[in-house]
Parts: sequence; structure tokens; C-alpha cells
Amino acid sequence: MKKIDKKTADAYIKAIFRLTTVLLIIWLTVSFGMVLIAETLAQYTFNGFPLHYFMGAQGSIVVFIILLFVNAYICDRIDEKYNLVEKKSKNVKGQTFSQ
Amino acid sequence: MDSQFLVSLLLIIASFGLYIGIAVYNRAKQTSEFFVAGRGVPSVYNGMAIGADWMSAASFIGLAGTVMVLGYDGLAYIMGWTGGYLLLTFLLAPQLRKSGRYTVPEFIGDRFQSKTALVIAAIATIIISFTYSIGQLAGSGVVIGRLFEVDAKIGVMIGVVIIAIYATMGGMKGITWTQVAQYIILIIAYLVPIIFMSLQITNNPLPWLSYGNIVSELGELDRELGISEYFTPFDTGSKWQFLALMFSLMAGTAGLPHVIVRFYTVSTMKAARWSGAWALLFIGLLYLSAPAYAAFSRFILMKQVAGSPIDNLPGWTEKWINTGLLSMADGNSDGILQWQEIAISNDIVVMATPEIANLGIFVIGLVAAGAMAAALSTAGGLLMAISSSFSHDIYFRIINPNASEKKRMAVARWSILIATIVAGLVALNPPGVITQIVAWAFALASGTFFPALILGVWWKRANAYGVISGMIVGLLVTLTYIFLAKFGGVTVFGIIDTGAGVFGAVAAFLTNIIVSLSTAPPSQKTQEEVLDLRYPEQLKYKDGEVWKDDEVI
Repeated sequence: MKKIDKKTADAYIKAIFRLTTVLLIIWLTVSFGMVLIAETLAQYTFNGFPLHYFMGAQGSIVVFIILLFVNAYICDRIDEKYNLVEKKSKNVKGQTFSQ
Repeated sequence: MDSQFLVSLLLIIASFGLYIGIAVYNRAKQTSEFFVAGRGVPSVYNGMAIGADWMSAASFIGLAGTVMVLGYDGLAYIMGWTGGYLLLTFLLAPQLRKSGRYTVPEFIGDRFQSKTALVIAAIATIIISFTYSIGQLAGSGVVIGRLFEVDAKIGVMIGVVIIAIYATMGGMKGITWTQVAQYIILIIAYLVPIIFMSLQITNNPLPWLSYGNIVSELGELDRELGISEYFTPFDTGSKWQFLALMFSLMAGTAGLPHVIVRFYTVSTMKAARWSGAWALLFIGLLYLSAPAYAAFSRFILMKQVAGSPIDNLPGWTEKWINTGLLSMADGNSDGILQWQEIAISNDIVVMATPEIANLGIFVIGLVAAGAMAAALSTAGGLLMAISSSFSHDIYFRIINPNASEKKRMAVARWSILIATIVAGLVALNPPGVITQIVAWAFALASGTFFPALILGVWWKRANAYGVISGMIVGLLVTLTYIFLAKFGGVTVFGIIDTGAGVFGAVAAFLTNIIVSLSTAPPSQKTQEEVLDLRYPEQLKYKDGEVWKDDEVI
């Protein structure tokens, strides 16, 4: 165990937090946002679909999947930047919250 | 006994033989460290295993039918059951992974340093898993009922016997490679009929690209009949119901004990993130296909079945009418079957469509094998969750702490048996269609575990009193709303029983926060350990300082 600068550790957390916030805003927009304006979207068509139906049946789900992969990829880059790449963890039960 | 019966039965038995074979083979090798607790399994395969765990009878048997019957409003299930993975992977999975606990009640009990909280979490696990398994048993009733051409009720009874045997054999759930095999069979069984139908109807082998025009064409057919268009938004329920149901399914996903458990057993936080991403990719494949399934089924029913003379219906109709889930009556006595005269249950659409589209006995049997795997494996896992919550968390910890190992095993076996029988009795007369019953389980999870876990991980001030009262209030509010909306006809903003989770979650969050703030904060040590969950695996937050442990990387 060696002590590291708390500022560095907190900068890492802030970077992850910022990423999560951006991704969750996109998530909110393509799910709840698209449902709220469904009647407006219904006036347009895309690939044969009424647009609101396309968003509910395909568009939002594809965006969800992309967001999860983007998250995993960028988190890995952040880990590298802060030199916190996990190789493997201790193979024992967590030691926090001990009774 | 016809050739269809033999082919279906053979495929079901062959696929189960494969799952059990892999399980037995792996159990023999389990001494090698590689397989212990699923650690070291690459994220891609872990994602497939999560997918197999996830895809129950509701996804496989119920979903496409629900979308077909509800039209656009059914898409709340599609978005809800996929979007929840973002909440889970961003806000809970890595942190829970770091906590190192293996079950949700265990995490809640240790985080809040309270046995009462643990017991309430165990009771909530039992209620949620029980509700969920009713849906699975109803699903197995549909498959078995069609197989033997008997009423779905008799199908449920046969299903109960099979599941009781399957569940007491035990252990099958945890084996990643069995679930990888199961996922592959499930997804092939689901995609093959859709691809065939896509070729039949649109000459395009890629249903995802081709069914848009079919959806528009369905709208035109509806206009000709003078009924509201297939894709009309908020036709069967209010916009608030759509949003409430979607929220409830998403939050429920993030709080569902048997899904979260999968993330505890990965090796690192990094693996938790990638497993979540792969899982949604594999799950998404089915969810992107379900609306196509729905559109093709409805198209075939409207174009090829409706309009036939009532005394000359195709052969498949009789077999499904025998299950009690399909009725075709010539309401206006004109000798012709109209679209409006077909009453088809949501739950038989996936199973019946390959027969309606005449896809051949092999495809029909394949779908039956996939459906059986989806219903039985999930039901088996849920019943085991019930029995371990009861025998370990409640019986051993509270009722009889001095119980011997033998006695506890006996309690576990009896609780599986009793839970299976009671769930089977309820499933004889299912209180709703499969997706609806499963949606109640999600509503209960979003009213209890979602607030407890989010606040437990992200708010160090949350204490035992807060979480105990929060879970109780969330559970009661959700249950009360489900019963009032379903049987009492009381609704708020048009939100019906399936959307009840939104009220439960709001009530639980508020209760937890208010009670926590008006009682003493958790100990300094606990608060620090909550903060510690935010830091990556090899960093430790202690006494206001951060320590890096090079040993673990």
C-alpha cells in the first residue's frame, strides 16, 4: 500500500462522473424524450417506419448499445491516463463493511 | 401423436440434454481455478450468460405478442427492458462489484449494518422472484399445452412437475458455459422464424431492415377496417402509463436480484463495464427482432387468415383453440372470419406464428425448444433464489441460528417444493398475460431494491432506519397500487397496474431520505466505506486519504 495524492484520485472520479452524466443525458433523450414527442415524430417516416415507431423499436435500443460500448471504451482510456489499469483483483471477498 | 409432436419433443429433450451435459462436464473440471465463480470468463461470454439469464418466458414467449396486441404502446416493454442496463452498468454494477458481496440482501445487510434490513431485503427477494416465476410457469403451460394439445392449465401442471425436478437438481444456473449454449439456442430459435417470414413476405433476409414497410402497410389495413392504426401512439393507454411502465421496467432491471448477482462474480470493475455492454448487445438482438415478429404475425393473420370461410379454417387453428388461448367465432354469422373476430392471446403469438406461416415442423419444434429453455431455466433460477433467501437469510439467521447443515438443506428443499406448487396454483388461472405478470415483478423491484441500492451506494448519509422504512413503504405502495389498479379500478393519470413501480420508487426514495436525515448518521467507518466504493478496485479510501494497493493489480 502506498499513499497517493487525493487530488489525482478525485480527478479520476470527476472524469468518470462527467462521462456518466453525458451518457445518461443522451439515454434520457432517446428514451423518455422521444416518447414525450411521439405525436410530433409520427408525422415523419424513416425506412418505411413512422419515425416514432422506429425510435421505440430500433433507434433507442441501438443508441443504448452504443452508449454502453462507448462507456466501456472511454473508461478504459481514463484508467490508462491515471495509470489505474486493473489487471486482476484480489480473489477474495471484499473487506469493506466488516461486521 | 403426429410427427410434429415427435419432432418438438425430440428437440426439447436434445437441447436440455446439451445443457445438462455441459453442466456435468464442467462440474467435473471445477477443481481448476479457471471456473471458480465464473472468474476469468471473458466478458463476451459473460455477456451471453447474462443474456440467457435475462431472456425468460416474458421475453421469448410473451413480448412479440404484447407488441402485436398493444401496437406502439407495447414498445414501452422493448425500451424499458433494454434501457435499464445503462442504469445498472453506470450506477450500480461496478460499485457493487467492488463491495464484494454476492447477493443483494447480503449487500444491503452489510452496508446498513442491520439484520432487519437484510431480512426485509430477503422477503422482498422472495416476493419478487415468486411473482416472476408465476409468469414463467404460465409460459411453460402454453408450450406444453400446445405440445400435447391440451388445455394450458394441464400444461401448467405438467410444467410444475418438470420444474420441481429441474430446480432440486440445482446448481445448473451458475454454470456460465451452459448459459452460453442456452443463449445460442434461444437466439437461433427466435431468429430463424423471423428470417423465414421476412423472406416469405418481403423477399429480404434481413427482417430489421424490411419490416418498416410492413408496419406502414398494417396501418393502411387498419384504416380500411376503420380501426385505429397499428402504430398510433398512446392508443391503448395514456402517455403517462407508457412513461411509468418504461421507468418501472428500467429501474426494476437495475434492482433485480438475479440479474445483479451476475455482476458480482466478474473479476474487475472493468470486466463489469464490458460485460454490461456485451450483455445488452446480445439481449438487444432479441429485442430488436420482437417488433418484427409482431408485425409479420399480424400481417399474416390479417392477410391470410382473416377472410377465410369459417368452416374451412387451416389445421393449426384447432390445436390452438384446444389450449383455450385462441378463439375464432363468426360473430356476425356471415360465414367469413373477420380480423375483429379473431381473439388471440398475447402469449401464443410467438408459438403459433411459425405454424400459421407454415414454416415446417423443424422450425416449429425449434421454437418450442427455445421457449421451454427460456421458461424452465429462469423458473428454476428464481425458485432457487427463493429457497436460498428463505433457508439462509430468514430461517438460519433469524428463526433457528443453531440449525444443522442437514436441517438447513431440508428447509431449502421444502421451500423450493412449496414455492413451486403455490406458484403453479396461481399460474393455473394466470392473473394476467405473461409480460404483465413479469412487469409486476419489475415494479416491485423498482419500488424496493432500486432506491435502496442507489442510495446505499451513492449517499453515505443513508442509514439503516432509512433503508428499512424505505423498502417497506416502497413495497406496500407498489403492491397496493397494483391491486387497486387491477381490481379496484383506481388509476392516477391513467397509469395502470404495470406502471405501479414509479409510485413505489418515489415513495421509497422520499421515505429513505427523510427518515435517514431525521435519525443519527451511520458510523464514520461506514460512511468512509461508502465513499470507497466510488474509487477503482485497487484504490482504498481511508481516513480521508487514498491508498493505492499495487499488490492487487
